[in-house]
Amino acid sequence: MDFFELTSNPIDIARVSRRVVPSECGATVTLDGYARKYTKDKASGEIRETEYLEYEAYEAMALKEMQKLIDAAKQQFEIANVGIVHRIGRLDIGETSVVISVAAPHRKPAFAACEWLIRELKRTVPIWKKEVYSDGEKWIEGDAETPEDVTK
Amino acid sequence: MNINVLFFGATADITGQRRVEVAIAPETTASEVSQNIIAEYPRLASHKIHISLNQQFASGDEIVRDGDELAIFTAVSGG
Repeated sequence: MDFFELTSNPIDIARVSRRVVPSECGATVTLDGYARKYTKDKASGEIRETEYLEYEAYEAMALKEMQKLIDAAKQQFEIANVGIVHRIGRLDIGETSVVISVAAPHRKPAFAACEWLIRELKRTVPIWKKEVYSDGEKWIEGDAETPEDVTK
Repeated sequence: MNINVLFFGATADITGQRRVEVAIAPETTASEVSQNIIAEYPRLASHKIHISLNQQFASGDEIVRDGDELAIFTAVSGG
């Protein structure tokens, strides 16, 4: 069974990972993405120390985009089931922000699909991350190959 | 005609709101709506702005209709 969810509660990774497993599968690849304390600023090279994160989602659209990603992944890769759960709200350092589990008959397509799914999720699913520091905070803007930039 | 304009993250902080109802003239495009909002909140102009219309990424050329939901946001950063 495929599933995709947003939650403001801690994510049980093992539960997500097992929920995707049908009897014809032999491998599940699970990504556990979690809140990082130290981030190197791409522009300045400066290392920022994050105290905690806040994620915000455009929930209705995020769920639609997650469904589209799962459909597209299943077209491209020989996989059976996909589960995606993204946390929103406040996260402490080390807490899981996103879990993607891909079950497949064989491991290689599962690895490839999981990598594709997280890359696309970061580009197309309308969720935003704010890093909060001891002396301020900053909404992070993605790498912006994101679908369309209407101002340019 | 009225549409709902939504803001998230950085654009919600800059505009100080999350949802606003905007009156529009017939044949207004999605990018015209966003340009009007950017003119009203010039701090938005220093960001790369993306828009969606009715929960789909929009190119900006779409004609908006009464009751539509248009969202204005910066490049997504989930994961």
